[in-house]
Amino acid sequence: MAAYGRQPVLSSTSLQILFYLNGWYFAAFFIAECLMFVYKGVLLPYTQANLTLDVVLLLLFLGLEILRLFYGWKGNLCQRSLALFVSVCVLVPCAVLSVYYLILQTFVLRLEFVLNAVLLCFYGLELVLGLMTISVFLRGNIY
Amino acid sequence: MPVQIILVPARFLTLIAHLVIVIIIFWSRENSVRACLPLDYSDEEYRSEDTRLVVALSVTLGLFAIELMGFLSGVSLFNNNQALLSIGCHASGCVALLFFLFEQWTCSIYWWIFAFCRSVKLQSLFSLI
Repeated sequence: MAAYGRQPVLSSTSLQILFYLNGWYFAAFFIAECLMFVYKGVLLPYTQANLTLDVVLLLLFLGLEILRLFYGWKGNLCQRSLALFVSVCVLVPCAVLSVYYLILQTFVLRLEFVLNAVLLCFYGLELVLGLMTISVFLRGNIY
Repeated sequence: MPVQIILVPARFLTLIAHLVIVIIIFWSRENSVRACLPLDYSDEEYRSEDTRLVVALSVTLGLFAIELMGFLSGVSLFNNNQALLSIGCHASGCVALLFFLFEQWTCSIYWWIFAFCRSVKLQSLFSLI
């Protein structure tokens, strides 16, 4: 139902595109990371504690990312600034986890480095666009 | 059910996968350069082969930037043939580059892969505009 002549649509298309592509990219990233952990676990001299830590953090990453993308998607489409704000807040631990997998984990593969770098590019763009969209929503608030 | 639901993410993922492999080849190009040269090589030859590979990879990265802009701006989003062509080229490029990396093929083959994937894409892109 088009709101002709009543209120303009404030949702950000670019942010929506980024969330959509980020969802697909993270799905591929998660599958790739799982396979790489199998590869690393077999080949490299891991201690049990380190391997467990890395795998558990990967599962935590999955949960946080799903949460972030869901809140961002719904917040952007329904023009609710609170949901979008929660999404931006959850972006911080997600970025920390991404940096962990980029440089701080026990054994970093080149492929992991590149994949996490691309993910951080996504996060940077989403942070900027998310903050801009929140300000747009707060200024032109309808409810 | 619109076919874009499959085409858009597939196109994006194959594009990113191709980009990731090119970046990895750029990063670990020492092995590839040594595979191109004869068994006894001098520093001069190493440096010239290295330069050639760097040039090839930089041109590839430049064209990736153009293609990513084209994809994200949504110009060719609803052209199914364009999307299928893109997916095919990038998927075949990915597989070829994986072989290039793991089997240590010679550098001249990289130019063939590049020419095949890129020229087809450029033709289709310019025909659109």
